[in-house]
Amino acid sequence: MIDIQQLTFRYSRQAVPAIADLSVRVREGSLFGLLGPNGSGKTTLISILAGLLPVQGGRVTIGGDELRGNVSRIQRFSSLVPQEDVFYPSLTVVENLAFFAGVLGIEGAERQARMREVLGTTGLERARAMRAGRLSGGMKRRLSIAVGLLNRPKVLFLDEPTAGIDPQSRHFILEFVRRVNAAGTTVIYTSHYMEEVESLCDDIGILDEGRLLVQGSLAELLAGAAAANLDALFLGLTKTALRD
Amino acid sequence: MTALWQLVRKELLVLRRDWHALALLFVMPTAFIVLMSLALRDVFSAGRGTPFTYHLVNHDVAPESDSLAAAIRRHEAFRDLGAGDDTALLDDVRHDRNHFLVVIPAGFSQTMMNAAPRPVAISSAPGVDAATRQLFEAAVREAASRVYVQRAMEELTVLLTGLPTPPGARKGPAMDGVERLVAATSLYGTDGPVRRPTSVQQNVPAWLIFSMFFVALPLSTTWLQERRQGTLAKLRSLGLAPQTLLAGKVVPYVAINLVQVALMLAVGVWLVPLLGGDALTLGHSVAGLVVMSLAVSAAAVSYGLLIANLVSTTEQATILTGVSNLLLALLGGVMVPRVVMPEAMQRLSALSPMSWGLEGFLDVMLRDGDLRTVAPRALLLAGFAVMSLVLGALLLRRPRVE
Repeated sequence: MIDIQQLTFRYSRQAVPAIADLSVRVREGSLFGLLGPNGSGKTTLISILAGLLPVQGGRVTIGGDELRGNVSRIQRFSSLVPQEDVFYPSLTVVENLAFFAGVLGIEGAERQARMREVLGTTGLERARAMRAGRLSGGMKRRLSIAVGLLNRPKVLFLDEPTAGIDPQSRHFILEFVRRVNAAGTTVIYTSHYMEEVESLCDDIGILDEGRLLVQGSLAELLAGAAAANLDALFLGLTKTALRD
Repeated sequence: MTALWQLVRKELLVLRRDWHALALLFVMPTAFIVLMSLALRDVFSAGRGTPFTYHLVNHDVAPESDSLAAAIRRHEAFRDLGAGDDTALLDDVRHDRNHFLVVIPAGFSQTMMNAAPRPVAISSAPGVDAATRQLFEAAVREAASRVYVQRAMEELTVLLTGLPTPPGARKGPAMDGVERLVAATSLYGTDGPVRRPTSVQQNVPAWLIFSMFFVALPLSTTWLQERRQGTLAKLRSLGLAPQTLLAGKVVPYVAINLVQVALMLAVGVWLVPLLGGDALTLGHSVAGLVVMSLAVSAAAVSYGLLIANLVSTTEQATILTGVSNLLLALLGGVMVPRVVMPEAMQRLSALSPMSWGLEGFLDVMLRDGDLRTVAPRALLLAGFAVMSLVLGALLLRRPRVE
């Protein structure tokens, strides 16, 4: 589904590349966990896959289409849910959804149907008339996810979707990720929570300083490194020095 | 088109719920116009403390015209800047670059005692207040009177001594002819009775432009919030091109600017007179006003987008927008009319887009200019807008380490 070959990316005026010679393969319908310390290149990689940053070097194909030159086409069947809130605080939940559906060109009865669908999926029906800025942290995150689901994506990029939210919302989101993946959506999931990735993901990749250190199933990775759990494996590979 | 319409609708909805921004864009300029127009009404009519200058061109080669020029120059309240080309000097006066032009025509001395003399022409700039204009005209008339009386006395002496008068000469001097020696024209307005520049005439366009440029503040801060919150990234990941995103800001804020124009002109025309001030006159070129409004708006909105893409935080945007708007306003004649600035400052003033906008509006409202008159300033503003937009788009495309 996603094939990344020798991808490189360097921000302007930065000496070190954010992504360096990175190769990853993500199977169709899989739930791929992307781990890495702060500044390891996770968000940059997801931004490239979502078409926000250009492919400077290497080759990326998504759903059989090469990303370079086909960004618009790929964006129609993929969706990004960034770490930050992707809505307008002064608009209500429904107004936000209607706006993003409109931008996607979803109109009329279809728009209403999609909005009902994503409100149901994210459990926001009762908050539909609330201003987004007044939602709780967990509800805000669910609204961002609802926005990300409006185009019924085949590939979903979730960038730390459970960071800083309450346990109930976190549980809800993890269940949602399982459900959406079970329905056939390929999910790229980044997180700092090892236990989340352990419980959710079929495949895991660990990134550091823009390079892929390892990739495989949890069992393969633990066996290969003789680590007791993902946390131990992660710290063994990326060391314990602070990164911020 | 659908995406652009959605962006425009969203922007207007967001702004409608932002009371602070609405107050900044509509209440602040209304208050400025009303208060400044009323507070400065007397200052504008008195013209206190302003260094008034004139050019004097003498086309007449005669002792009388030389005496007249010398008498005018003796007035300490006004400073002669010397002679030059009539047309260029008149253009300077028409555009408030100089206050007065005095032209002594060829044949002045020969015809001064006739029933229809060739009069000294005084042209006064639109920005010169009525009292100063009358003072200057009186000074010239007084100088002309002296020359006239001197010549009359000479003729009278000839008559009294019984010497034969030259053939064709009049029997005696026409002592009521002084008034006809000077013809004064204010270059402010033309139609009907002479309209005089007032405080409201200066303040409405000035504060209107100032407030139009202040759209840069809500525009840049909402843009930065969208960027920091990830909304902009989300919109771009939906396939929206940078130019569509920029257009999604330009269109609604241009619409807001046009509402500001309509509101502020209405304040000048109807509200200020109700409160005891003078009424604003709009000139005769609707097309000129529309073009200037659109040009100023394009410049202001594009400038806001440039700032939004130049800085990283809303705090930086707030400070940069506020400070740069104040500087542009100070330079551009918004806070201190260009007409009272020293020459060096007037030259510097020409660098401010607010000055281009203000002079364009004044061309229509004050100098009865039309579309052709304002076209060069409108083009300058359009050029500034294009440059800001291009720079903004380039900065938007630049990958950032957030």
